[in-house]
This record gives sequence, structure tokens and C-alpha cells, in this order.
Amino acid sequence: MNWTLFQPELYYFMVVMVFLTVSMLNSVSVKTNYYTALISAVIGVAVCTMSLRVNGTLFYNTYRVDLYSQLFKLMLAVGMFLVISVCNKLKSVDDSRHPEFYLLVATATLAMMMLTSAVHLLTIYICLELSSYSLYILVFLRKDQETGVNTALKYFLTGASASAVMLFGFALVYGKFPSIYLADLVESIPRFIDQPSVSIGMLLMLCGFFFKLGVFPFHFWLPDTYEGSANETTTFIATVSKVAAIAIMIRMVALIGGNSVYLIKVLIGISVITMTLGNLCAIAQQDLKRLLAYSSIAHAGYVLLGILCMSPNGYTGAVFYAVTILLLKFTCFMVVISISKKGESPSVDQLAGLHRRSPLLALALMLALFGLAGIPPTIGFSGKLLIFTAAMNNGYFLLVFIAMVNVVISLYYYLLVLKAAYLKEPVDDIQPLHVPFPQKVLTTALIITIVTIGIFPTYLIDLADAAVKYLM
Amino acid sequence: MIVPYGHVIVLAGIIFLLGLLCAVTRRNLIMIVLGIEIMLNAGALAFIGASLRWQQMGGQAVALFILAIAAAEVSIGLALIVSVYRKYGTIHVDILEKSTR
Repeated sequence: MNWTLFQPELYYFMVVMVFLTVSMLNSVSVKTNYYTALISAVIGVAVCTMSLRVNGTLFYNTYRVDLYSQLFKLMLAVGMFLVISVCNKLKSVDDSRHPEFYLLVATATLAMMMLTSAVHLLTIYICLELSSYSLYILVFLRKDQETGVNTALKYFLTGASASAVMLFGFALVYGKFPSIYLADLVESIPRFIDQPSVSIGMLLMLCGFFFKLGVFPFHFWLPDTYEGSANETTTFIATVSKVAAIAIMIRMVALIGGNSVYLIKVLIGISVITMTLGNLCAIAQQDLKRLLAYSSIAHAGYVLLGILCMSPNGYTGAVFYAVTILLLKFTCFMVVISISKKGESPSVDQLAGLHRRSPLLALALMLALFGLAGIPPTIGFSGKLLIFTAAMNNGYFLLVFIAMVNVVISLYYYLLVLKAAYLKEPVDDIQPLHVPFPQKVLTTALIITIVTIGIFPTYLIDLADAAVKYLM
Repeated sequence: MIVPYGHVIVLAGIIFLLGLLCAVTRRNLIMIVLGIEIMLNAGALAFIGASLRWQQMGGQAVALFILAIAAAEVSIGLALIVSVYRKYGTIHVDILEKSTR
């Protein structure tokens, strides 16, 4: 067996072990914890970059390492690094719980990395559960115990039910085809997809991934969880966990193949409802994190639109959109973390006067929101363009039209947030926001990346294209 | 296989629906978690039926894994319920409604 294929996972497993040990010692200071986590995340990015081009299968073919999985692993590693880089204060988690926080973040990242490589139903199920369980406890770790317990319990109950439904879908599919390897299923499912038992099995199977991504029938947990968990945890759920969900959604939908009649209709319906509902609900929100949660739901709808094309172009668009969500959502949440004084969830009004308190953060927020709305010089525009073009090529004109209407609706509430940041006068505190130097560097880097990839997306598109080839 | 696969899948479906019903209608947190466990076990049963149908051991292995995962799940669920009980002195699901917002 070739262990070099398994390098990123082994590395993150080691990180998990380190933090498991640290959490059992009681003497490590908050600062040391933070820098250990940060350095290990940086090395993690390097390890993932090094193993970007490796290829092969492991563990009796239940685990496939190819460009597709490695690209997503790199995204997850970058996401984890970004999330940890804003944990320097970690105000809403008790000081003694910091090692556990990093332990669970690393475990969840490890599980999601394995999820992107899993090509066997059992592996997928175990990785999905491992990442979910880490997230349940992460949500629970909020210092304000009352909110923490409630949110975690709600998240747990919905998540556990969704995964049970998914498991039953797995069982139904296994009852129809004598194999649980995705490679075998890819060959047999498309021919039988219009039989009711296969359609229902696949649909139940997708429920678990719908839950992870926050797609319509399973979106209820998102606003509550975003609002109720610590800001840093929310950042993790909104960025890293969404990327993993997109990765596995693409893999599962690629199973269906292009010739399903009923399932496509269901997916189209779900996609339309998801984006419309997310955007309409977001308009009414006062809490910034809730607003971003509903915008996450809307974006899940756009991603689904790309995925349901079931063409290589659509998948490329979805992979590209994963990068978009990672960068843009992270930028928004970085601002959320910065303006929250004691780790509470800030309201939209709390942004008032941000352009004077910290012009750099205000600029970053503006670009991120423009990106989420899909306005040209940003990465968000390229992502939407790819997805909508793919859908047009498949002849879903009405669907693209509805999505465009949705984009206009979303522009309204993104501009409301911007209005609060740029035009509203603050009531009391006008003193400048203290942004430490490393965060300034990070913010500048994010701004540059968002704009640069927006103008020159070709390299990333080619990479996504090459990655998607391994799915077929 | 003495029992036809169709019967097994119907039984598993009924158990799954019972679990779903239990999880949705009961107001006691422990009963909700129990309902979810029943749903998982229905999945395990369907896997075992399918593995007998195909004469493969794969499905049985999945069932074993499901048992372990269900145990991990219930331990997290019960830990959450214990901390809810410490906080509020009750495990009625209504406490979830009044808390947030």
C-alpha cells in the first residue's frame, strides 16, 4: 500500500492527536494553543499542495485519491487555515475549552477531507457522520451555555434524522444493485434510474447531503445554528463544511448520469425553491449572521443549479463556486468577528460607520458582498457566469431566468448591509476598530485574490475542468 | 434465503416510518433520540436483507458499522440532553422554542 497517497489525512490525523494530548494537559496557554493551531494549519496547506497531483486508490478501492479529491482537500486545508487565523481572540469560547475547539476543527476537517475521497457508501457514511459529530460539539462549545446547548441540540436532532434518512436510502440502493462501490453503481444506476425504488433510494440518499449544504427541505437548521453558535464556529460551518458538502454532492449526483427524467425534475424544483426562499427570507433579517445564513441557503440553490446540469461544464461551475463561497463567505464572517465586541452575534446596524472605523474591512466587506451578488470584477461573477452558462447550454432557460431574478433580489439585501456599513451614522462609538497587523495582511490578500481571480479566472477554471474529468 | 427480500424491505420500511413518527411526534428529548435510533436500525435491517439477497458479506459489515455509529451518536445526544437537564431541570422539547430569539 502506498502511504504517500494518504499524506494529507495522516498529517491532519497527527494534528488531531496533538490537540487531543493538549486538551488533556491543563497548562498550555491560550496563545500557545493558537499559534500551534495556526502553524499546523499552514503546514497542512503545504502538505495538501504537495500532494495535489497524486493518483491512486487505497483500502480495497474504497478510497480514491485523484485530482478532484486533492483539489477539494486543498480548498478544505485553506479554509481551515483561514478559520483558524481569525480565532486569535475566540471570545465566545471559554479559555479552557480552546484546545477542544482546535481538536474538533481539525477532526471535522480530517473527516471532510476523507469525505471528498470516499467512493464506497460505507466510507461516505462514516466520514459524513464523523464530520457532523465534530460540528455538533463545536456548536455546543459556546461560552453562553444556554444558547450553545439549545443550538447544538437543534442541530443534532435535525442532523441525526437527516443522516438516518440517508442511510435508509443507501440500504434501498444496495437492495437493488449487488455492490456498494460507487464505481459499480455509476455503471448500473443510470440504466435503472427511472424505476421507482432506485429513484426513491437516490433521493433519500441525497437528503443527507442536502442537509449538509442547507438545501430546501433541510434548511431549517441553518439560520438557528449560524446565529446560536460562536462566530468562529459559524465561519467554519459556512465555509469549510459547505465546500465538503459541494464535493460530495457532485460525486453523488454524477452517479445518476444524464438520462433521468423524474429525479431531474425534483432537483430543479428543489433548486428553484431553495434560492427563492433563501433570498426572500434574507430580506427581513436584522441579525447579520442570520442574513448570511439565508444567503448561504440561496447560494446552495445556485450550486445545485450547476450540479443538476449533470454535464462536465456544470460540475466545473460548481467546483469553481465552492472556491467562491469559501473566499467570499469567509471575508464576510471575518468582518462579523471583528465588529463583535464580546463574541455576540452582531446586528446589521452594528456595522454603522465601518468605513470610518476601519476602511480596509469595509472595502473587503463591499467586495465580498458584491461577489456574493455576482457583480463583475469579483470572483463571484465568474462563478455565477460558469453555472448559468452551463444551465443555458443544457436548455434550462426558464431556470436561468428565475436564478437571475433571484440575483436581483439578493442585490437588495446585500446593498442594505453595505448601506449600513458606508452610509449610516453610528450612534455612539466612533473610535477606530483595532485591526491587528496580520489581519490587515490577510484582508489585503483576500481582496487581491477576490479581484484577481475575478479578472483572470482561467487557471482556476482549467484546474476545475481537469479535476471534474476524474468523475466520469 | 427463506424469507423473500420484499418482505424484509417492507418490514424495514415500517420500522423506519415508526421511528420517523416517534422522532416527529414525541415531545420528550430522549424519545426523539430513540426514534432516530430506530430509523438507523431500520437501515441496518434493510442492509442485512440486501446482503442476504446478493449473498455478500458487505451489507452485514455495514450493519456492524451502523451499530457502532449509532452508539457514538446516542452518546453525543445523551450528553446534550444531560446538559439540557442540568440547565433547565426538564427534558421537554418546549425549552428549545422559548430560548432563541
